[in-house]
Amino acid sequence: MKTLALFVVLLAGAMLVYAGQDLPPFGDSTTDMYQNRVTQRYIAGTEVESGVPNMVTALLANYRGYDTLGETTVIFTAGVAVMLLLRRRET
Amino acid sequence: MTGIIDIVHAEYNYWIYTALMMIGFYAMIAKKNLIKKIIGANIFQTAIFLFYISLADITGGTAPIIWEGHEDVIYTNPVPHCLILTAIVVSVSTTAVALALIIRIYREYGSIEEDVILAARKSLQPEFSEYARQKGGEE
Repeated sequence: MKTLALFVVLLAGAMLVYAGQDLPPFGDSTTDMYQNRVTQRYIAGTEVESGVPNMVTALLANYRGYDTLGETTVIFTAGVAVMLLLRRRET
Repeated sequence: MTGIIDIVHAEYNYWIYTALMMIGFYAMIAKKNLIKKIIGANIFQTAIFLFYISLADITGGTAPIIWEGHEDVIYTNPVPHCLILTAIVVSVSTTAVALALIIRIYREYGSIEEDVILAARKSLQPEFSEYARQKGGEE
């Protein structure tokens, strides 16, 4: 059983290494992800549009506020689930 | 040989994340202890976080916080940082629910070892089916 698990893990690792050959080198600034106009717009527009110096905060709470609202739903659901699971019933 | 070393050195972040992900995956599928399975899942998630954050890095770039009075500052990419902030919250939520489930399992079966729980379930099976039959008869 452990050998089978090890085989599956090594297979997954080999697939990841094979797929990783197409990824850009570490610290490359010429990638599409960094030169994308969405990224450049966020970097250039944060100070003008939101006035927050921290770009990650501006992204999280201003540009992607609805995403953060959904995130709070996830925390709420997890809290309710934990409370329901750990409640001791009075019988 | 030097070619291989150069390739590994240029993309060492991908090798580290692959190694971490393999460790977490192995712990998730091979360990019998449920807490160790959760630790494996957390290592797996951390590998994903590391992958995204390493993709965001730019050589010579600073943290994505506006540096007053300086022009032509290279900032690292803030978008993956934001995505991973959300993913960390989801990771904490799933870990909390999983640990609560393990506490419930421990209260029912007195163990968090998977094979002990399965053996206990097997020995309890006739009672469970009897209970289900009575329940079905009532309705």
